[in-house]
Parts: sequence; structure tokens; C-alpha cells
Amino acid sequence: MSRVVVVKAKDILSQTGEAKQRRLESLYRTGLQTLIQGGNLKECCLSIFDRKDRVGIKINTIGGRKLSTLPDVSLCLANLISEAGLSQENIIVWDRTNRELNQAGYRLNLNHKGIKVFGTDANGVDYERDLISYLNIGSLFSQIQSRYTSSSVSLAILKDHGLAGITASMKNYFGAIHNPNKYHDTNCNPFVAELFDTDLIKKKHRLSVIDALIVQYHRGPSYHSKWADEYEALIFSLDPVAADAVGWKIIEDLRSRNGLISLKEENREPAYLQTAEKMGLGKARLEEIQIIEKAV
Amino acid sequence: MDRRHFFKALGGTALLASPHLKPLLMDLYAFSDESNLSQVEAWYYKKLPDREIECELCPRFCRLGDKERGYCGVRENREGTYYTLVYGKACAIHIDPIEKKPLFHFLPQSNALSLATAGCNVNCKFCQNWEISQVRPEQVRHYDLLPRQIADLAQENHCPVIAYTYTEPVVFFEYMFDTAVETRKKSIRNVVITGGHINPKPLHDLTPVVEAIKIDLKAFSEPFYADYVRGELKPVLEAIKIVHQSQTWLEIVYLVIPSLNDSPEEIKSMCRWLMKEVGPEVPLHFSRFYPMYLVKNLPPTPISTLERARRIALEEGIHYVYIGNVPGHEAENTYCPQCQKMIIQRTGYQIENVKIQKGRCQFCDHPIPGIWT
Repeated sequence: MSRVVVVKAKDILSQTGEAKQRRLESLYRTGLQTLIQGGNLKECCLSIFDRKDRVGIKINTIGGRKLSTLPDVSLCLANLISEAGLSQENIIVWDRTNRELNQAGYRLNLNHKGIKVFGTDANGVDYERDLISYLNIGSLFSQIQSRYTSSSVSLAILKDHGLAGITASMKNYFGAIHNPNKYHDTNCNPFVAELFDTDLIKKKHRLSVIDALIVQYHRGPSYHSKWADEYEALIFSLDPVAADAVGWKIIEDLRSRNGLISLKEENREPAYLQTAEKMGLGKARLEEIQIIEKAV
Repeated sequence: MDRRHFFKALGGTALLASPHLKPLLMDLYAFSDESNLSQVEAWYYKKLPDREIECELCPRFCRLGDKERGYCGVRENREGTYYTLVYGKACAIHIDPIEKKPLFHFLPQSNALSLATAGCNVNCKFCQNWEISQVRPEQVRHYDLLPRQIADLAQENHCPVIAYTYTEPVVFFEYMFDTAVETRKKSIRNVVITGGHINPKPLHDLTPVVEAIKIDLKAFSEPFYADYVRGELKPVLEAIKIVHQSQTWLEIVYLVIPSLNDSPEEIKSMCRWLMKEVGPEVPLHFSRFYPMYLVKNLPPTPISTLERARRIALEEGIHYVYIGNVPGHEAENTYCPQCQKMIIQRTGYQIENVKIQKGRCQFCDHPIPGIWT
């Protein structure tokens, strides 16, 4: 069994769309402690990360201000990790480009001090020159993933995706390579799973946190208010496949509640999750996932 | 040296490696970043509800939501309008002999001002130019060159031909089309080097403004196209027929890859199809493969394999069959199909001798198809 924790926090979003800090901290605390079941928050964090780790928090900012990982959400996690004993200087909140980060409301920080925030196109950063060739993957990896970090968190937005079915913690790593556009055929299957299975992802990935504060359950991955639900939850798991499988269930539930047919009926169920399970990356079947729901 | 500087150096070398290009072009240097991409509305797409679009340029028919890019990586949906990001953004520009394309029946020994933008609508595992074809435009350096400037550049550098090549010109269709229209005003000819993965409508529109198209037929099997090209064979065959039926000169290249597309049966089937659909006069080049990109586990094609393929093609009745990437091979030369005499002697990209006058063999007066003047 894989454990997935879904923590809901009613009214966590302010009227301007920002997350309330105190409630967010409480949400993370509940989520991580329920997931790890190993004492206080600090102990939980240190069971996931080593004090000397350089942690990359890979967020998703392609959706602009309305449908990206909120700065409050990612920086809150970064702060909690640092309070557990990791140096702030060793924590990077990152995505593909500085432009997308800016548009999602992030203030870049490339300075030595503090939690760093920057994209792969920042000065002095780039994609690797050597191609990683693995199964159907042939890509250049962001140096942030390959060099700057020793462990990584996927902190993605939960969205419907016109091609992939859903996009969540696994597909988020498409933003760690130079050519994601080459991997959208056949519902992104097997590409999402195979990319995750590369050493640079699989051996560094420590934690999936899915931002389901607002869930785009139809016509994603871009924002459409008509089909965006204020779900007000974060999803936590050490199993990226299980985390995404639960995310998929949430999207299907929202679709059904709103009178939409299922992703399967639209011929775009996220089959890459089954592929990922076959590859041994985690559990895709809900009967093999322990889902714990909490509210704060 | 990081990747960005590597490409910067690569681009600079490429530019300098073209001795005829005037230093003036150096002033046009501009490093690529997101803010320096073009935003020119793309052709061949339809708007769909909810700010979605469907691209109709190539057989992929990418259906994209807002802020998403097509498979090619160079066309993006912004708020329901589809844009090309590479209009006027040449990431490679060289002066090449036309024989390098290869086009062997088209203005021999002429210089072609050859250009490309980033991007490609397939992903061949054996791509020779993946550093520019399989990247997004913001990941390579480019030169800001509008169609009029390219026409001037070609004229200043005594290039009677512009070649759209190196990556996949289909993905920079609008830029290619406008450049062709602009350069034709100066009597400059235009040639397209393509994988032929394009829909009939844009191809029909393109043929009247270009003089020659070389199509890379990468295999004669759908499974190969699915596995090694990430595309489809059928639309490429359709493209070959469309070009042949137009007034545009056509040549075909088949890269022979050991164990993947080199079987005599496949070569024979392909030649029979060519004979049936385009006849014996369309030149066919069998090129030698060298390990590249994602196919590094295979050896270079044995020359005997290329010779076998050539024999099969000749036996099937194709008149002009060449072997490429093997400098000095006798099958680089053109032989008259009637008197069998050598009528163009080549060594690599160098023309040693031409025995064609007014499109006819000088020895027996047999008409030799092509564009010779």
C-alpha cells in the first residue's frame, strides 16, 4: 500500500486568491505528519531530507498567476524545510523560465542569501550539454535538476490536461527538460513514466505535494474559471504515482459532479500512471493506495 | 563552457565559416531569449472554443490550449491566437554548394544561401542537426533577418539560390514563404529541404513560389516512421506525389540505416512505388548513415549496402540513382540513361565536368531532366 494524504483547509484562499499563511502552515504540518507518522514536523522533514541536502522544489508556473503554484504555497514549504534544519541557501524554488516565474507572482532571488527562486534560463544556469538517452527519452536536463540539487520535491498544480489527461506531480518534471513538446503524443504515455524513471529524477525525487487549492478539472491545462474548482486541498505522498492517481480521482469526481464525462470516455485517461506502476515507480490502482483525508 | 556559450560559439563559427558572408552580418547578432521571439500570427490553423486552436500545417494537427506550444516547439497558442515564434529568426545561415543539399539536377555548382530556424515537427532518432532542430527557439542563438534582408544578403554574396534546410522548413512556413516571394523579385531561386511531413493545402500553396523540393524519405514502413521518426509515412508519400504533380523540381533522399531500413525488400517496394507514382526521372539518392543523436549503437552504413540499394533501384527502372556521403564514389556522378556516358562528374560537392547542354546529353542528345540554367 502507498499512503496519500489529502488535507483540506476550508476558506484558505483569500478573496484576492492568496493563501492564508497560518492556515497553510497548519495544512503542511498536518499533511507531512500524517504522511510520515513519525513525530513532529522537524522529524518528518528530516526523515525525508538530509540536513546537507540541496533541495529543489519544482513548481509549475506555465498557467500564469491564476493557475500556477502560488508563491505562498511553495515558499511556505521551503521555510518549513529550512526550519527543520536545512540551510535556506540550499533550497531552490524553480521552474523553466524567469518570465513564467515572474508572471506567476514570484520575486526572483539569485543571491547567495535566502531561499533561491529562479528558472533554468537565469544567468549562469542552463540545460546540460550532454543528452540523456533512456528508453523513449532523449533530452537535455536543466542544470538545476542535474547539478544544483541533491533531492527534489515536485510541487505541481492539479489540472486537467487536453493531451495527458491530467497533469500533476509526475508530469511536472517535463519542466526539467529542454524538449517537453516532443513527449505529448499518445497521451504522454509512456513518456511521463519514462522521464520519471531516469536517474536524474527518480534518484532525487523525495516528495510529491500536489497543489489542489484550485483544480482545473476540464479544458486544462490553461485556466478557465468556468471549470476551476476551489478545492482548497494539498495532496502529500512519497509515492508520485499514487499521488497522481488520487489527483486523477479528484478530477474525475469534480467532472462527474459537474456533469462532464470521464477522461476515459474522452479517450484521454492518464495511462502513463499504469505504465509507471508497471515500471515499479509506485501504485496507480486506488485499491492499493491508503488515502487519508484530513481537514484543518 | 556552458550550453548557451557553446551554441553561441557554434553559431559564430558557422557564420565565420562562410567566407563570402559580409562582416556586416555580425552586427545582426542577437542572442536568443524569450523576449526576442517573434509574434507573427501563424497560417493554417483554426480557432476552437475556449481559446483552443488546432494547427493544420502538418499531419499532427496539434490541438492546443492557451499558452501551449505545438510538437514543433516554435508555434504557440496565446489567448486563442496561434503565433509563429521564429519568423525572421534564423539560427543557422551558411553558403553551401547546392550539391550539399543534395540537389544534383538543379543549377550544378551554384551557391545556396542556406538558412534555418529552430524546431522540427518530427523527432528522428538519427537527426544530424538535433542541436537546432530539437530545441525551442529561446534555447539557441539566432540572427534577426527579415525576408528582404535575406534577399539582399543572397544578392551581395552572389548566391542565385536560397535553401531552407538544416532543420525542418515546414515549421517556419510563413518565414520561408515570404522570403521566397521576396527573393523571387530579384530572380533568386528557392529550394526546400524537407522531411515532407506537411499537409496538402500548405504544400499546394508553397510549390508555386519555390523551384525545387528535396524530400527525405526516411524509410518505406509505417513502424519505422512511428518508432524512429515519430511521424507517419503516408503523408510523406502524399507530399511526394503533390510535388511531382506541380511544376517544382523534385529529388528524393533515402538515408540507409543498417538493420533498420536497409532490407532489399523494403528498398524494392519503395522503388516500385516511386516508379508507379513519380516515374523514372526523379533522382533518388541513397545516403550513408553515421551514428548520431539517439542512434549511436549502429555502425556507419557499409558501402556495399548502398551499392546494393542502388542496383535494386536501377533494376527497377529508376534512371538517376546516386550514393551520398561517400566522397569519390562513382555513383556521385550522373550518367546518361541512354548512352550510359558520364555527363556530370562530381567529387564530393565539387563539380569536375558537365556534359549537358540545353538540358540534353552532349553525347547522344538524350533529354536530362532538371533545372540547368
